[in-house]
Amino acid sequence: MAALYFMIPVAVIVVGLAIWLFFWAVDNGQYDDLDSPAHSILFDDDDPKHLAGVDKADDKQPEQDDPRA
Amino acid sequence: MSHPTPCYHCGLPVPSGSRFVAPVLGERREFCCPGCQAVAEAIVQGGLESYYRHRSEPSANPETFPQELSDELALYDRPDVQQPFVQHQGDLAETCLLVEGISCAACGWLIEKHLRSLPGVAEARLNLSNHRLQVRWADSQIPLSELLKSLRRVGYAAHPYQADKAAEQLASENRRALRQIGMAGLLWFQVMMATMATWPEFNLDLSHSFHVILRWTALILTTPIVFYCCGQFFRGAWRDLRTRHLTMDVSVSLAIGGAYLAGIWSTLTGQGELYFDAVGMFALFLLAGRYLERRARERTAAATAQLVNLLPGSCLRLDADGQSQRILLSELQLGDQVLVQPGALLPADGRILSGQSSVDESLLTGEYLPLPRGVGDQVTAGTLNVEGPLTVEVQALGDNTRLSAIVRLLERAQSEKPRLAELADRVAHWFLLIVLLVATVIGLVWWQIDSDRAFWVVLSLLVATCPCALSLATPTALTAATGSLHKLGLLLTRGHVLEGLNQIDTVIFDKTGTLTEGRLTLRAIHPLRDLDQDACLALAAALENRSEHPIARAFGRAAQAADQVESHPGLGLEGWVEERRLRIGQPDFVAALHDQPAPAIPGDQGQWLLLGDEQGPLAWLVLDDRLRADAPALIEACREQGWRILLLSGDSSPMVGEIARQLGIEEARGGLTPDAKLEVLQQLRSKGRKVLMLGDGVNDVPVLAAADISVAMGSATDLAKTSADAVLLSNRLDSLVQALPIARRTRRIIIENLGWATAYNGLILPFAAIGWVTPAWAAIGMSVSSLLVVLNALRLSGQPTPGHQASAGTALSPATAD
Repeated sequence: MAALYFMIPVAVIVVGLAIWLFFWAVDNGQYDDLDSPAHSILFDDDDPKHLAGVDKADDKQPEQDDPRA
Repeated sequence: MSHPTPCYHCGLPVPSGSRFVAPVLGERREFCCPGCQAVAEAIVQGGLESYYRHRSEPSANPETFPQELSDELALYDRPDVQQPFVQHQGDLAETCLLVEGISCAACGWLIEKHLRSLPGVAEARLNLSNHRLQVRWADSQIPLSELLKSLRRVGYAAHPYQADKAAEQLASENRRALRQIGMAGLLWFQVMMATMATWPEFNLDLSHSFHVILRWTALILTTPIVFYCCGQFFRGAWRDLRTRHLTMDVSVSLAIGGAYLAGIWSTLTGQGELYFDAVGMFALFLLAGRYLERRARERTAAATAQLVNLLPGSCLRLDADGQSQRILLSELQLGDQVLVQPGALLPADGRILSGQSSVDESLLTGEYLPLPRGVGDQVTAGTLNVEGPLTVEVQALGDNTRLSAIVRLLERAQSEKPRLAELADRVAHWFLLIVLLVATVIGLVWWQIDSDRAFWVVLSLLVATCPCALSLATPTALTAATGSLHKLGLLLTRGHVLEGLNQIDTVIFDKTGTLTEGRLTLRAIHPLRDLDQDACLALAAALENRSEHPIARAFGRAAQAADQVESHPGLGLEGWVEERRLRIGQPDFVAALHDQPAPAIPGDQGQWLLLGDEQGPLAWLVLDDRLRADAPALIEACREQGWRILLLSGDSSPMVGEIARQLGIEEARGGLTPDAKLEVLQQLRSKGRKVLMLGDGVNDVPVLAAADISVAMGSATDLAKTSADAVLLSNRLDSLVQALPIARRTRRIIIENLGWATAYNGLILPFAAIGWVTPAWAAIGMSVSSLLVVLNALRLSGQPTPGHQASAGTALSPATAD
């Protein structure tokens, strides 16, 4: 139980950090548009970088099946 | 009846014999005008074809945007012009643009991708809810005017966005509300941790020093909540008490203030119970409820605040020598003289100094035929100069113009509370009275029995009966209902619509553009004399070239324009083509030109126009306006509700009777002016009837403003949309059909919520009075009741999406697919 003497102040500090971070996020405009990100991920299919990544992942598959020591 | 092909880009009908084609997604597609074709080609060339696969709505027709003037765009590259809305960070410039023409999420993808492909553009981010585009680019590599031009090429018009004070204040208030919620939530979790440990129900053997530490921790963590987050409750309570009203703010402030002060005392003296977690919970739930309300209101406000640019961005000022110079509208002063070219919007209110022209004032009066204006006449900002150049002396600018006065008049308070929310306030009023009475009585009783516990019992009474769930009851339901209606395509812009829909007993429909598609198409030409069909069409098109009337648009583009075109409202047009005096319109009007009785109309379907010259009639032209596919369903739904149905139209043709017959509407009147319609409406209202008006606003603005509930079609004029209580986006009439049961359910669910919240508070009152309610039970009870209320409200948001599903990979037909 003696640990609580330490844990409680730590918890308070963590909360303080969390609030600071949240305030930063709000002021930075992270929460201004909550609708567009939901749509933008749907269009990644045609992104050439995404397709290249998909291809690369497919190529890698057989190698990953090799057992590792 | 032939069905015209819809334009692949914008969905408007393709005039027969159109030559605008381009290959998109592997097939040859038809377009209605060179604008759409050019946009489609630009999109394909940019490798962004999949836009057409992803989009869920037809795109905007690029010709509806204000004309792009390259010297106006060049203005935007001037540093002094850029200064208010462009910021510089190192090499990059950053600005915010307002984009017109966005119809669905795929537009956002298209815009962002297209801009990012331009050299020098570092970042482009579009906010789909308020149509604002943030761009960062290297302005040494590419000027702003080039960015704007490039956006035009793919079919969007962008203007520099300058947030006015109101919008900025709204944005900062939203952020503050979000910060308050975040702080309340995060701190509450920690406070809960600290206070739960002190509850006897948990049977923890805590040493005295731990008790002290936990109490102090809880106190330190709760203080910011009370001072940063709850200030608005205290201020509201103070304001309400001064006006002798007992509202929820008073109740909440009592509970929060009491719990906080009692907690301080408890921390300092080490006795009694801690109610700090209740403070946190109240703060979080109540702030969340208010935030939901705010978000719902803001979303609709953003949609309606897009008055778009009713005023032009730039104008031509005449200096002392008579030379014209293009300047920004903001640089215009009173007393300046401006030159307004034909086809341009008037930048300010003023008096005509020289020139003779006709001005299209449909924006204000709804009269779509231009009215003649000459020297000495007054003109209004925002109207369209149609025929000839005018020199105007500026008499009123910006906020002082007649236009903004009208807009302000029509902008009813967004903050007006819906009647259902007022119901909640009334319930809270009575409830609080009862609670205060009981608290006083109980306090006195306990004072006699055991004076130590008296204070704590009263406190627990106040905390447990705090109407937290009550204040969540309405906003959650309204938000859920508004959200699901929005998904269906009905945008509510005033709070009283949901409640009001339940009380409507009469509905008035406009005809053209509302029950019909509003796009007249030329079905047949019957030549009567020597000229053949094409020649007659050419003459008719020449006459109708300048008119904005829906009839005129059916004739498509004319190779030549008629001279001295005069419009006779309700009768037709007269003009000269190649030395020939022609008239087109009502048979009697045209026959008057050659002094013969008018020939009888040969058929009974459609709208028949007669074209004639001074020798006699030339041809009959038959126009057809298609009935919307979902119109019969809407009439049926209205009939099921038992509403009285009226059709009032400005059209004096037999079409009105025909449509009424097809739909089974008994009361139908045609040939009404806007004033006559207003009179009918007022007569109905004076008899005590509640009227719903559905119109497209070209000439319905005063009637829309006067009806109990007004719904504007999505294709209505901007002014109509801002004056209506709801807007049918994408013109789907079945959204309205589906809205009716939702309105009923919303009312029922709100009443259920209010009932449940009151019942919970009422039930716990006796337990608190006896002294059985400890902080633990108060917390549990409050959370459960609030959760129940929210879940009940969420039942309103589980609505199926409407008939159309965006199917990937198929060519898109317009919303009213056949």
